[in-house]
Amino acid sequence: MNSKIKYQIYKNLSLIRKTQEELIERYHPADQMRCPMHFCIGQELMPAVLGTLMIKEDSIFTHHRSHGYYIAKKGSINEMIAEFYGKASGTTGGLAGSQELTSPKINFYSGAILSGAFAISLGDAFEKIYNKKKGITFSVIGDGGMEEGIVFETLNMASKMKLPILFICENNLYSTHTPLNERTLEKKPSNRAKSFNMETTYFEDNDPDKLFNLLNKVIKKIRITKKPQFIEIKTYRFNSHVGPEGDDHFNYRNKKEIRNSIKKDALNFYSKKMLRGDKNFLKIKNNIDNANKKIVQKAFKFAEKSDFPKEFQSFNFKGTYKKIKKFYDNKISFGTTQENHKPKPY
Amino acid sequence: MKKKILTFSQSINEAMKQAMAFDKSVFTFGIAVDKTGHVFKSTEGLLKKYKSKRIFDTPNSEQAETAFALGASLDGKLRPVLIHHRVDFMPYSFDQLINWISLWSFKSAKKSFAPLVIRAIVGRGWGQGPQHAKTLHTMFSYLPGLKVLMPSSASEAKGMLLSSIMSNDPVIFIEYRSLYNTKELVPVDKYYIDIEKPRLRLKGNALTIVAAGASVLTSLKAAEVLYKKNGIKCDLFDLRSISNMKLESVLSSIKKTKKLVLVEDGWKNFGYSAEIMATVAESNIKLDAAPQRICWPNSHVPMSTPLEKEFYFDENDIINACSKILNIK
Repeated sequence: MNSKIKYQIYKNLSLIRKTQEELIERYHPADQMRCPMHFCIGQELMPAVLGTLMIKEDSIFTHHRSHGYYIAKKGSINEMIAEFYGKASGTTGGLAGSQELTSPKINFYSGAILSGAFAISLGDAFEKIYNKKKGITFSVIGDGGMEEGIVFETLNMASKMKLPILFICENNLYSTHTPLNERTLEKKPSNRAKSFNMETTYFEDNDPDKLFNLLNKVIKKIRITKKPQFIEIKTYRFNSHVGPEGDDHFNYRNKKEIRNSIKKDALNFYSKKMLRGDKNFLKIKNNIDNANKKIVQKAFKFAEKSDFPKEFQSFNFKGTYKKIKKFYDNKISFGTTQENHKPKPY
Repeated sequence: MKKKILTFSQSINEAMKQAMAFDKSVFTFGIAVDKTGHVFKSTEGLLKKYKSKRIFDTPNSEQAETAFALGASLDGKLRPVLIHHRVDFMPYSFDQLINWISLWSFKSAKKSFAPLVIRAIVGRGWGQGPQHAKTLHTMFSYLPGLKVLMPSSASEAKGMLLSSIMSNDPVIFIEYRSLYNTKELVPVDKYYIDIEKPRLRLKGNALTIVAAGASVLTSLKAAEVLYKKNGIKCDLFDLRSISNMKLESVLSSIKKTKKLVLVEDGWKNFGYSAEIMATVAESNIKLDAAPQRICWPNSHVPMSTPLEKEFYFDENDIINACSKILNIK
């Protein structure tokens, strides 16, 4: 693992954190981002490391807490913020918003109906095999989504059809405000993937270097074998389930659990680890932090200056056909002979 | 254009073969699509020619299959044809249809699209009962962003399926099993049909009949009797598409005849018949007589033969409705 990768991981961690903090800060005073938003402070580790291993040809499908993965896939911050502002210059013209953040040009897709995007990854991975394409597919889900039936169908099909997918489950222990132990007796969602004969790994640590080494190995193998794998990462959301306000006054999480989790913050941990081990890092860190700050501030300006979209109805249908001119245009009427049909047992 | 007589089933089979030969991105899959029955012979010969890369069986996973079709079709990279032996299995995949496929183009502001086709067969008849005979066409049509088609005959089926596969929008293609053995002259080469617009099947001035899918054949039979017995000629429209109906030609026919009979193989509540009546009312078209709807009763279908016979309408019910409007005996 070279320094370049380490700096990149720090840059990702810091950029994800910075966008989340700015969004939370500006959400209400501006009142211009009028869509439900699920922030990912505390859960930056997986996307930040993954961002150093994904290539342009890879696709990624994620749950609604998706900002980190969008940034990891090198999505434009300008377009992301503009999308949240409902502006035409947004990733999808301001029509989808935060919880369905999508950017086809970087193969990034997400959605709010928990496990839906998780399953769509199947077809994307199949297409890569069918058309002999470079790249694999990443499919990210939360511990909550893992309880929906389609997940089992998806894991089974991926395994049986040998599709090149890395399934990632971010287990943050809560589905909105309901803890895992109130929903299932199986503590590790990854154990369910095992029953589909899939290589499965469980990761519980806050050190990005360790996660990088693991992911690097797993992803390399998927690129060669084209077979799916499943990784569960234990994580923790520091912010509330949705929106900028805290929700810990509902007391659905143990205070000690929150404190201990924040103590293990990957960004803080990595920053200290790097400062200890790399003499140059202090300067580099400052440069990265400043650059990230500028990227985010510029994005808000871009969003504010952009125009609102003017149409929506015409977007429901693409309304075109592929190569239809090569078909005979059957405008003339054909014979209307239709013999009587006699239903028979079948 | 050379034509030959084909059954509805052979016609669908030809469309599948010609689409796959024409475009390498077309593949088909679903539960038991490559097995013994070959989806009532509509996928016959595909496995031999295109091998398991382009036609394959799936586990009993309707939800994941549908999501699979969406993922594979993204931006037209592939053109999947997913097949269900019965429409009744599709409710498993309502999340995929309602929350993902139907709004894919919309929520991407047309930056992405999903050209997939879902073929589904309606059991209708021969004791198929409440879980094998539903059409659900109005449920799908209620959603913006889906094209819902119901072919009425062999020649329509081939052109409509080819056009659906080449369409860059998601299509739900509803086939009535009761039409599978009906025959018609069908063009031999691949051809397209304007699936957006209704087709005028018969021309006349006495009254306007609107139907779709299997009810077109029943209406044709009724119209034949009306002509033979009473010399009455009517305009008979085949809607083809149930979603986003383009009704200009139908409305001008109703303006001309001032008499309307709607025939629908589906429940009376909230059907396309109701939708067309509402459009007629909104267009302020004055009718000579109250319009009539011939549909299924608002009940699930019984299996028992005599009750089933009572449940489904036939050409006599259409003849009676027309006679009532035309004031003839």
